[in-house]
Amino acid sequence: MEMFDLIAVMAKILFVIAISLGVIPFLVWFERRGSAWMQGRVGPNRIGPFGLLQTTADVIKFVCKEDFVPKNANKFFYHMAPTVALVAPLCAMAVIPFGSYLVLGDHTVNLQIANMNTGVIFILAFAGLEVYPIILAGWASNNKYSVLGALRGSAQIVSYEIAMGLALLSMLVVYGSFNPHEMVAWQNETIFGFLPRWGAFVNPIGALVFWIAIFAETNRLPFDLPEGESEIVAGYHLEYGGMKFAAFFMAEYVAMIMASGLISTIYFGGYGFLPGMQTILNLATEYFSLGVAGVQNVKALLEFTSFFSKVSFFMFVFVWVRWTLPRFRFDQLMDLGWKILFPLSLINLILVTLGVYFLN
Amino acid sequence: MHIALVIAVIISAILAVMMLFAKNPITSAICLLGILLMSAGMYALMGEHLVATIQLVVYAGAIMVLFVFSIMLLNLSNAESEFKNNPKMFYAGMTLGATIFSLLAYAVCTHFSKHTSSLTSGVFTNAKVEELGGNAKVLAHSLFSQFYISFEVISLALLVAVVGAVVLAKRKFD
Repeated sequence: MEMFDLIAVMAKILFVIAISLGVIPFLVWFERRGSAWMQGRVGPNRIGPFGLLQTTADVIKFVCKEDFVPKNANKFFYHMAPTVALVAPLCAMAVIPFGSYLVLGDHTVNLQIANMNTGVIFILAFAGLEVYPIILAGWASNNKYSVLGALRGSAQIVSYEIAMGLALLSMLVVYGSFNPHEMVAWQNETIFGFLPRWGAFVNPIGALVFWIAIFAETNRLPFDLPEGESEIVAGYHLEYGGMKFAAFFMAEYVAMIMASGLISTIYFGGYGFLPGMQTILNLATEYFSLGVAGVQNVKALLEFTSFFSKVSFFMFVFVWVRWTLPRFRFDQLMDLGWKILFPLSLINLILVTLGVYFLN
Repeated sequence: MHIALVIAVIISAILAVMMLFAKNPITSAICLLGILLMSAGMYALMGEHLVATIQLVVYAGAIMVLFVFSIMLLNLSNAESEFKNNPKMFYAGMTLGATIFSLLAYAVCTHFSKHTSSLTSGVFTNAKVEELGGNAKVLAHSLFSQFYISFEVISLALLVAVVGAVVLAKRKFD
């Protein structure tokens, strides 16, 4: 491997990790202020402007807390669970592209950490590994409520993975490729002259099923049964305090960012331009009289902006839904997963396959 | 050989030994998970992305979840204290394992020495696969064109297994 490639890969990894961990404090702030706004409350507003430094205070509190381990816990697995929780979604982010490519001198840098020929399936692989921290945390804490939470969590994630996989499969049939770059390129066209050819417009049922499934996969309300406070105290992370709890908390947000990135790439055009961005690119090209490399770099910047705003929108939707819908009962959750989403996504897959067969 | 590959091999060997000698069933399961992840890493380092991904999805993401889940459901947590070291079984197991391992090692070694002399490689060389659009595409094409009958028959076998599992479980609960 050349030195330049090695540095480029390292820089991309650093960039993705920095962005996804760096926006968490802001997201937590938004979660609390946003919930207050949606419920007509004030929310945390004392520390810093608009309470922006509240999360900093929280972090200081988490770090300074006593590092407590329950007496009968299995020490090794008890500490391993939060680590795995954070690593699995960060790994999955390696395949999500956040722009087409940059031109630096005579090198081109593909704005995606790992260009694998299985692409999107690789993300599913790591999404599947998100079960382990929940099982491990619940089991290692040696607490009945934790085990109940872990059993609920693993049953939920395994059930909704099926609907999620089938919804993804219906889109793979349309794109005919695993490569996220090719998916984005496919979605850059328009249908009927004005509507962008996004996956969500081509395959709305698939998009809906996928969207519901990622809520269950990330344990967000209305599907946060694994930590249902009213029944099992705090579920699988009941025995965790201080920074170990914060690791689970951050992992939930990283998983949300990953899921938002995935749904924007597959169903909402990925890093493709939002309406109006082409005009900005043309204006910038004329104003600065850019060369070919310059145009490509400005384009990559705009593409990153587009991707980032789509991910931000889905993060907003996560918060929005959380403070709108109440939690389901566990039997309702299983009914929704197995009796509604699973048959719906199967029928949708058949319809999409027929559509692709007859239209192509 | 790539240095990362060597590290992965060493770690998975250590994990394998830990898996064999762990007294706690969950520890064994997690060690096995570690071995599966390491072998996925090895496949990825060799550039076989499809095999690595399938390894993660099927073995690490599905089969091991089932293992860990059933260990937890059966609540084998006190198996550790009840664990009895049975020397006869232990030595018998060790002998059997060593025999199988040496036979496998012998087969692999002899195969590699033969490979250089007489065997010719098939149509799908690395360059050819790359030209056709990667392993995933080539495999999909052969599965759904040349081998589609065997593929469908295997899916039928899976269906039979699922129905059988439902029948067995239902009889138990009725």
